[in-house]
Amino acid sequence: MLPTPLVKCDYDKIYEPSEDSFLLLDALEKEQGYLVEKFNGLVLVCEFGPGSGIVTTFMIQNRIPVGLNSVYLAVDVSPWAVEATLETAKLNNCDKGTVLDTVQGNLGTGLRKNQVDVLLFNPPYVPAEEVPEVPESKDDYKWLDLALDGGEDGMVVTQKVLDNLDSILSKNGVAYILFCARNHPEQVAEEMRLKGWKIDLVEHRKAGWEVLSVYRFSRN
Amino acid sequence: MKFLTTNFLKCSVSACDNSNDNFPLSFDGSKCELIQDTTIEFNPEFIMNVIDRVDWDAIVLVAQELGNNSLPAAKPVLGSVEGLTEDDMAVLRDLHLLFIQTSIKEGEMKCRNCGHIYYIKNGIPNLLLPPHLA
Repeated sequence: MLPTPLVKCDYDKIYEPSEDSFLLLDALEKEQGYLVEKFNGLVLVCEFGPGSGIVTTFMIQNRIPVGLNSVYLAVDVSPWAVEATLETAKLNNCDKGTVLDTVQGNLGTGLRKNQVDVLLFNPPYVPAEEVPEVPESKDDYKWLDLALDGGEDGMVVTQKVLDNLDSILSKNGVAYILFCARNHPEQVAEEMRLKGWKIDLVEHRKAGWEVLSVYRFSRN
Repeated sequence: MKFLTTNFLKCSVSACDNSNDNFPLSFDGSKCELIQDTTIEFNPEFIMNVIDRVDWDAIVLVAQELGNNSLPAAKPVLGSVEGLTEDDMAVLRDLHLLFIQTSIKEGEMKCRNCGHIYYIKNGIPNLLLPPHLA
């Protein structure tokens, strides 16, 4: 089993790594072979909503997918999360010697088209009345809500990414997205299949009262 | 923000997606503070892969804006890693210095289409839009 990064963050502001985060790490560990096979040349690994930075740091620490040929980009709407991601990388000695940048931004809206080779996304998947507004001030206490609340069916933010997946991913690109059962992932996967995507279930686990899964999206 | 990252960012305004001027963002060299990070080892193969991948015209343009006029107009053509000459290695070292070691610590970048300005603070670019543009 690959090592899990150390994380020390202020959990009033940053989502504390939990079962969902660890399931995504397990999924990525399992996918190492697939990713090494799939890519040659430069691989741009991009995470949306890194929060503490545990997933991106895990990728760097374990040189996934291809050690010295990967560059990492972590995009989060929260100013606390972009800082925490760099701090977590540093805490695990993954900041020096690595091509890692963090960007404050809204999902893929600020990324050049068709550049991401490996997209990682543990979204705000909790069903909620609405997706919270982006706070105006960094000192607002509501930043953490953005990491959790996913609007109707917990799918509003994830759906935005799925709708734009074709322009986010490179030609050979692949996305790993986490779902909970209340997101109706099988239904979502079926809709994406109808749009021509190949969808595979990579990991599936009951965690307390939640049933979590990680799906891989790639082009046919 | 590493110089290389400028090749992956565009304007966040969705209306600009219909324009060819939303990439690369335009940098005001006089307002950018550059720093060098020497902790990343030079790896010729990696730099060759970067060259393969990047939009070279955008690299040249942004480099010029940041005060580096030394890049050739056309993407360097290099053979295999095994067959690299000393001149090739010199080119790759220069590009390693530019792509990976050079970071923008403070500065601003502007969309060539809509003119919206994005700031880089403490090495982190902020591509979020104000509510009226989002």
